[in-house]
Amino acid sequence: MEALIKSTSLTSRAYWLIRLRWLAIAALCATVFGAERILNVSLPARTLYIIVAILFAYNFLLFLFVKYIISPQKEGSIRTIGRMITFQALADLFILTLILHFSGGVENPFFFFFVFHVVIASTLFSTLHSYLQATLAVFLFGLLLTLEYYGVLAHHSLKGFSDAGLYRNGLFVSGTFLIFSATLYLVAYMATSISAQLRKQQVSCENINVQLRKKDSVKDEYVLRLTHDIKGHLAAIQSCLGIVEDGTVGRLNEKQTDLVGRASRRAFKCMKFIKALLKLTRLRLSGRLEFADFSMKNTLFDAVSYTQNKATGKNIEVTCEIDPQVDVIYGERLLIEETITNLLVNAVKYTPQNGKVKITAKKREDSVLIQISDSGIGIPEGQTEQIFEEFYRADNAKKIERDGTGLGLSIAKQVI
Amino acid sequence: MGQARILIVDDDPDITEVMKTVLENKGYTVDSAEDSDEGLEHLKKLRPDLIILDVMMHTTREGFTFCRKMKRNDDYKDIPVLMITSIKDKTGIDFASAAGDEEWLPVEDFLDKPVEPETLIAKVKEILEK
Repeated sequence: MEALIKSTSLTSRAYWLIRLRWLAIAALCATVFGAERILNVSLPARTLYIIVAILFAYNFLLFLFVKYIISPQKEGSIRTIGRMITFQALADLFILTLILHFSGGVENPFFFFFVFHVVIASTLFSTLHSYLQATLAVFLFGLLLTLEYYGVLAHHSLKGFSDAGLYRNGLFVSGTFLIFSATLYLVAYMATSISAQLRKQQVSCENINVQLRKKDSVKDEYVLRLTHDIKGHLAAIQSCLGIVEDGTVGRLNEKQTDLVGRASRRAFKCMKFIKALLKLTRLRLSGRLEFADFSMKNTLFDAVSYTQNKATGKNIEVTCEIDPQVDVIYGERLLIEETITNLLVNAVKYTPQNGKVKITAKKREDSVLIQISDSGIGIPEGQTEQIFEEFYRADNAKKIERDGTGLGLSIAKQVI
Repeated sequence: MGQARILIVDDDPDITEVMKTVLENKGYTVDSAEDSDEGLEHLKKLRPDLIILDVMMHTTREGFTFCRKMKRNDDYKDIPVLMITSIKDKTGIDFASAAGDEEWLPVEDFLDKPVEPETLIAKVKEILEK
């Protein structure tokens, strides 16, 4: 079973069973109440309510157990949860049998609820285990019918709902039992084959994911090598152009200066792009960052004052509102500063003259919420999903700045 | 000071040419070598006052190897080394903070590629005046 369900989902399945049981408890209460008080069916209501109370306590204990005693990190806890789930599945069969015994036995059509147990078992356990579960249900129900038929166990009839003598009608009892058994095994067969198929698909999906991640990282390494090589050549081009431009090797005429300047600017843009690509790729590949305590407030001020310099030219007002409680946090200062600067510069770049850019920082329970808003062009509807994709640039952004790299927001997202 | 002799060890002929031009323009005598073998030969023959070294030549570590060999030799160990690299892009290592570590990066100083002419001149001047 451990092999079938991953440890992470095991706990959530345990919670799922507990939630289902709360539902069953509520439904049981309502049914007993409705049957007895509204439909006037004769029932050992008190006994049933006691069973409900026991079930309630049992479920609450299970909840506490999963919540406080088992921690998914602890070694061996997977096995403990696995055993607990198996135990629950068995206990539930006994409880249902007990409830049926006190509410009419074969005369109570709720015996078909055993089907749910078999379905649940087939989603949680192996095929064999599911059949065993079905067999146990058949056995328990058969035992109940037999013992009531022969009078070993007292029969609690549902007067007012079904014919009180049915439990002694051999043909009816055996017929019901046969149909019940056939149904249960059929359900076990169907449910296990469906969940087996699902599991197979899940496994292949996971494998594909692993392969994709591998390929992606091969691609990243390739890109890293490639961009690094390009950067070497670019650096040489820039250096050569640089000393021609600054007159180290003699004065140029006007046309020459113009053309060398153009070449130099293009090389600079290319370098900017290559550097951004390198940074993003390295970030994607490494994941190893240096975390430390640092002042978030100061980082924000730095980013804002850097942006203010850029914004004055366009007469854009950059305001910042920082919650005084926001101060020292634990994280990668450089990356965070760069990301915030990146977003602020973006905001300034795509905000027209005399606009406004605002950054706010608020203290949350164990995080800081930073919001950046601007009176700029915004993001066209339908493109919000794509803006974080590498090389993606929104249509309206392209019109304003032709040469953006399309990498800024990707880097930001990678950092976050 | 303009008479100082500088040896550039770098396998990129274009970068070498630029640095050479910039430094010669300031009156330094500049020689260049394409790999560490040629560099060691020049070291013997020319006795430079400063070595400008590219960390990543044919192999990633060639610059380091050259540097360690040189610093182990009593005749050359006092010649200052200015290391130039773009290796930070590949490794993410902050070389600036490692410069001067005898075991790891036994160089006097460190510059990141691409090197601006003014920065190069300033750095060279600073090291030679020490």
